Amino acid sequence: MSQEEKAMEAIKDALRALRKRHLLEEGAHGPAISALSKPMISQGSEWKEKTEKLEIELQQCYKAQSRLSDQLVIEVAESRTSKASLQDKELLINDLEKDLSQTREECTRLQEELEEKTKTLDLLITENKEVRSQLEEMTNRAQKAESENKMLIDRWMLQKMQDAERLNEANALYEEMLAKLKANGLENLARQQVDGIVRRNEDGTDHFVESTIPSTCGHRIHAHEGGCGSILFQYNSRTLFTGGQAGPVKMWDTNSGSLIKSLNGSLGNILDLAITHDNKSLIAASSSNNLFVWDVNSGRVRHTLTGHTDKVCAVDVSKFSSRHVVSAAYDRTIKLWDLQKGYCTNTVLFTSNCNAICLSIDGLTVFSGHMDGNLRLWDIQTGKLLSEVAGHSSAITSVSLSRNGNMILTSGRDNVHNVFDTRTLEICGTLRASGNRLASNWSRSCISPDDEYVAAGSADGTVHVWSISKGSIVSTLKEQTSPILCCSWSGIGKPLASADKNGYVCTWT
Amino acid sequence: MAANEEAMKYVWEGAIPLQIHLHKSEVASHPAPPPALVLAPRIGYLPLLVPLIKPYFKDSLPPGEDSIWFDYKGVPLKWYIPTGVLFDLLCAEPERPWNLTIHFRGYPSNVLIPCEGEDSAKWNFVNSLKEAAYIINGNCKNVMNMSQSDQEDLWTSVMNGDLDAYTRLLPKLKMGNIEDEFSRKESLSSPVSRQGGGTEIDVAGQVKTARIPVRLYVRSVSQNFENLEDVPEIDTWDEISYMNRPVEFLKEKGKCFTLRDAIESLLPEYSGDRAQTSGEEEADGSQETRGEIKLVRIQGIELKLEIPFSWVVNNLMNPEFYLHISVLVIGPQR
Repeated sequence: MSQEEKAMEAIKDALRALRKRHLLEEGAHGPAISALSKPMISQGSEWKEKTEKLEIELQQCYKAQSRLSDQLVIEVAESRTSKASLQDKELLINDLEKDLSQTREECTRLQEELEEKTKTLDLLITENKEVRSQLEEMTNRAQKAESENKMLIDRWMLQKMQDAERLNEANALYEEMLAKLKANGLENLARQQVDGIVRRNEDGTDHFVESTIPSTCGHRIHAHEGGCGSILFQYNSRTLFTGGQAGPVKMWDTNSGSLIKSLNGSLGNILDLAITHDNKSLIAASSSNNLFVWDVNSGRVRHTLTGHTDKVCAVDVSKFSSRHVVSAAYDRTIKLWDLQKGYCTNTVLFTSNCNAICLSIDGLTVFSGHMDGNLRLWDIQTGKLLSEVAGHSSAITSVSLSRNGNMILTSGRDNVHNVFDTRTLEICGTLRASGNRLASNWSRSCISPDDEYVAAGSADGTVHVWSISKGSIVSTLKEQTSPILCCSWSGIGKPLASADKNGYVCTWT
Repeated sequence: MAANEEAMKYVWEGAIPLQIHLHKSEVASHPAPPPALVLAPRIGYLPLLVPLIKPYFKDSLPPGEDSIWFDYKGVPLKWYIPTGVLFDLLCAEPERPWNLTIHFRGYPSNVLIPCEGEDSAKWNFVNSLKEAAYIINGNCKNVMNMSQSDQEDLWTSVMNGDLDAYTRLLPKLKMGNIEDEFSRKESLSSPVSRQGGGTEIDVAGQVKTARIPVRLYVRSVSQNFENLEDVPEIDTWDEISYMNRPVEFLKEKGKCFTLRDAIESLLPEYSGDRAQTSGEEEADGSQETRGEIKLVRIQGIELKLEIPFSWVVNNLMNPEFYLHISVLVIGPQR
């Protein structure tokens, strides 16, 4: 065999050997082993599956763990913040606690205050209650008192009315009697005039005294400061009342020339005086629109007659009744007053102011002398104008009645003194004097008690005395230097008193 | 089927039936587990068998960590030697199934190098590949230049015994060829030149001479024997000498480089004897103190020594381009 062939043979041989080996080894054992190992493999695959599953689970667990750790981180962070906020809250709580304790203290304090206040309030309430009850009591008492008062007043009024009724009755009776008396008086007077015999009858009649012609000055009394406007003698006495500018009305004894009494209570300037026939009451007309009525004995003002709205310049009182007063004021009224009642019973209005006023003897007629120079007569009861006479060309300043009531003297600013007959109202005589000038609107002249003479003052301070029957001057009295404002002749014939503007009063006998 | 393809197929499909016994010292279950039967690929390695074997024994193991090693008749088996080679070497008379003992504890570190399972086997394979490349080409650039995935795929094909995948990957390896007219398709085709051997397409540039990577395992037995059954059992690795020496493949005119020539070049001291055909042994009688090559096994078969070496190399080499030759000699132990 060639080497090549040997080689090829060897190669074939080798291949054969390989095949054989295959048959012996893996060919024979392979199937058996694979059959045996299948369960193993399957087990292995089982295990693989299990492993895979476990791996997946593990992965999931890891994921979960990572999630949880994330959450944990978040939670930790949150817990930190919570802790921080908790700390803050704690601090806050501390502060709040402090505040709370403070507030509590305040609260207790306030409560205490409140209690106190409540206590005081209670106290006040009780006091209030008491006071209220007291008030109620008082109110009750007051009511009772009021009712009692009312009752009493009613009773009093009743009494008064009863008294008034009684008084009225009495007055009525009295007037009746007075009327009767007057009638009697007139009869007597008439008898007296005719007889010329002085009879002393009931009250209300006068002595007839012959008056002397005054020639000498007795006393020179400084009666009033600033002027003495009105003087008046008491009935049938030498006591002289003087009223002046200011101050009281004074009562003088003309014998001694000394002051007896002063009647206080008057206001203003006394323009006229009037005295009741019983010499108990003196009435003064004042420039203060009032009339003052004094009780001469006590010297106290008994009445103040108000009602005039201007100065009262003339007043006269009834001789008969001593009750009726007539006054004239510059408010152009003449008022009639009742002294017992104390008030004005009648008012007469007219156009011209009255300067002087005089009541008739019977007290039923009022003679008034006016600024227009007229003398008027009024009915006292009705207030109606009875008649008027033109007496003077200028204002009448004085009207005075004679003692017997038949003649009336009027003096006017025309410096004429007229004597009228009261019944016929005709001039009986006219008296003049060259030096006689009336000083003021209220220069008063007077008639002597025996109705024979007329005395009038002059502006130059002289007093002129005329005789009515002769009609001429019988005496001129010169003593005062200032204008004479008023003259008055005492009822017992002497003295004659004259007052001047300086307040001096002279007595002449 | 073409001769070389057939041969390669047999080589790659070759598997040894193993009967693995758990060492009795490690039996922790009652009853003791039966031995595991596995088919071990000849071109594979023992550590690769562990995943197949372990399931059989894992329930029986004592507690602890596993350090797996095999032994045959008390001799720890070196794991980096392909399984087929171990079988051919250690079993004079093929024992089928081959009874091995597996250990899970008590790794004999004084005898065996550490093994970390599949990875160690893989690195061992790659290293051997590099060695072979160096021997063949003069450098191991071709291995280094191979991409990691390709290396992985190569190893996987070896692990799985996938010849087709391996053949596909071979061009990427660019390993030099060993010209072999005998390995052509036609088994009886005349060679192109009588010169045989010789690489003309050596990568490294050596034109005339080829170097073949060869691992030679020599087991020496002291006593002569007639039958293989009479070969005494191996006791220690001392009986085996290992040579990692390339064979210079000389191109000679008119002469074919045979296996005999190769062995003689490797074992000059035994070259005087001319072992005859495979299989039957001929008692030749010992001559002098020189050993006698009783047995040459490659891939589990005994070859006629006249077989052209080039054919042997191209068809019977292992995947890492190494030719493993087991030789049984009678002679003094070295």
